[in-house]
Amino acid sequence: MSVRWGLAGWAITAGVALWVGALVALPLAAVGAEALHRGPGPALAAVLHPDALRALALSASLATWVAAVNTVGGLAVAWALVRWDFPGRRLLAAAVDLPFAVPTLVVGVLFVALLGPNTTLGRALEAAGLRVVYAWPGMAVALCFVTLPFVVRAVEPVLAELDPAEQEAARTLGATRWQVWSRVVIPPLIPPLVAGGGQSLARALGEFGAMAVVSGNVPRETLVASVYVLGEVEAGQVGDAAAVSLVLLALAAAAQLAGRRAGRWLGAA
Amino acid sequence: MTHATLALLTLAACAPAERGRTLVIAAYTTPREVLSEQLLPAFREDWRRRHGEEVRFETSYQGSGSQSRAVAAGLEADVVWLSLEPDVERLVGAGLVTGDWRGTPTGGLASSSVAVIGVREGNPLQLHSWADLEREGVEVLTPNVRTSGGAMWGVMAIAGAADRRGADPLRALGATLARVRVMDKGARESMLSFEKGVGDAIITYENEVVVARRAGVPLDYAVPAQTIRIENPAAVVDAYADRHGTRDLAEALVAFLGEAPQQEVMGRYGLRPVREGVDCPDLPALSEVFTVRDLGGWEAVQGRIFADGALYDQALSLSRGQR
Repeated sequence: MSVRWGLAGWAITAGVALWVGALVALPLAAVGAEALHRGPGPALAAVLHPDALRALALSASLATWVAAVNTVGGLAVAWALVRWDFPGRRLLAAAVDLPFAVPTLVVGVLFVALLGPNTTLGRALEAAGLRVVYAWPGMAVALCFVTLPFVVRAVEPVLAELDPAEQEAARTLGATRWQVWSRVVIPPLIPPLVAGGGQSLARALGEFGAMAVVSGNVPRETLVASVYVLGEVEAGQVGDAAAVSLVLLALAAAAQLAGRRAGRWLGAA
Repeated sequence: MTHATLALLTLAACAPAERGRTLVIAAYTTPREVLSEQLLPAFREDWRRRHGEEVRFETSYQGSGSQSRAVAAGLEADVVWLSLEPDVERLVGAGLVTGDWRGTPTGGLASSSVAVIGVREGNPLQLHSWADLEREGVEVLTPNVRTSGGAMWGVMAIAGAADRRGADPLRALGATLARVRVMDKGARESMLSFEKGVGDAIITYENEVVVARRAGVPLDYAVPAQTIRIENPAAVVDAYADRHGTRDLAEALVAFLGEAPQQEVMGRYGLRPVREGVDCPDLPALSEVFTVRDLGGWEAVQGRIFADGALYDQALSLSRGQR
């Protein structure tokens, strides 16, 4: 009996490995092969091209800001959803998931329709000297929207598990408000916060649809790495595109891994 | 189930084929209206009258460079109408265009245009010359030269005009690029951004502005005193046309585009004629127009302006310091 279960287990594991391998590992390997088949020299040159380097730097800095904002904002939203009961709470809970449901290209179009130069809001912002769409602020806001659910959904279940009675107990035992926060509430939330933040960072690094629309796509100014990659593909430079993609992939994977590791480590400490 | 689906697919594929063949046309973005509203219906009518066959069309429009690469990579178009010759030459290099595509009465060209400055109605900022686009505070739109033929024509116009008035092309181009706010993939996308209200000026084809004005978009344009004559080739993609058995159709369409009545129709859509003796009375007279040959030919232009690290790349670097 146990042997048969073992066999079944093996079969399932092998099947899963094949499935994941075919879906994830094969395409990743193809990108790597495409990037490196001319040798490391041309791949390095492609990544070090000023247009590519600026695009990668822009993507990285945008993603870092967005992850930071989402970590704070996501905690606030999760807190509101779990701890407070207010009219429209269910509506808010549903709205948080919307960014995952809407195609991100549509998100871009929405932001341009809302803040573009032909809109009242857009004109007011321009008059105040603030460029939003086709510039950094619009790109950051669109990325925050697209990645909002990560932190909220990571923090929510942990927050729901926290017993408010523990906080009350700490208070009755003489802890200050600040001590309750720093000793009781925050520590268990750190792993999901960091993990969710890492996911936001990884997602924002690679976001394409919203960026293609909201960004001005001017090389070395507002052109992000993902859109740059498409430009290179369309310009027939598939190898260069793959090399830049590889860097994006590595950064995204590192962000996610680091998020999980740091989260676990901080949680354990 | 699978058999039923297959049978349906086969039916779907066969039914129209009994009526007539399909011609696949891949073009750059800006002839879209004149093709779909005028030239293709006229050609279908003409072919039906002469051969009794009902021709169908499949059309694709994207930036000239992207389109050319798509065809080279397997988009099986029978006919291409592209923004610039190197994009047809790419298909020659790929072994797809094998015939003497320049051997038509119009030298392989379907249309021509000039690079112009599209502006808001009434030209509130009084932008008339390429140098006016360098002014502080002016916001300019142009597509990306990596994907768009129109963008390349604009860059060549600015560099050539600077040459002519004794200015430094690198400085002129850098100062203009510093004013660019949105860089779309093709001329049409760029015009759509301009229509959304972005920017004060757009560097584009004259015909692109004319088409937008026909559609009721409130904008004007200025033809700079010195600008470049844009020449757009059309060609039969021999390899695909032979594979599809559409060579006669494809050759007839390319010849049709070059005939006087069609050239006149193009004029109403802002495309200037490439056939001797055809006028375009609706379009403004030009003063000083130069061509690619005046800039030394395509090979020289590619090397001097568009190669890696050449004039365009340098100007882009220069522009960063001026924003």
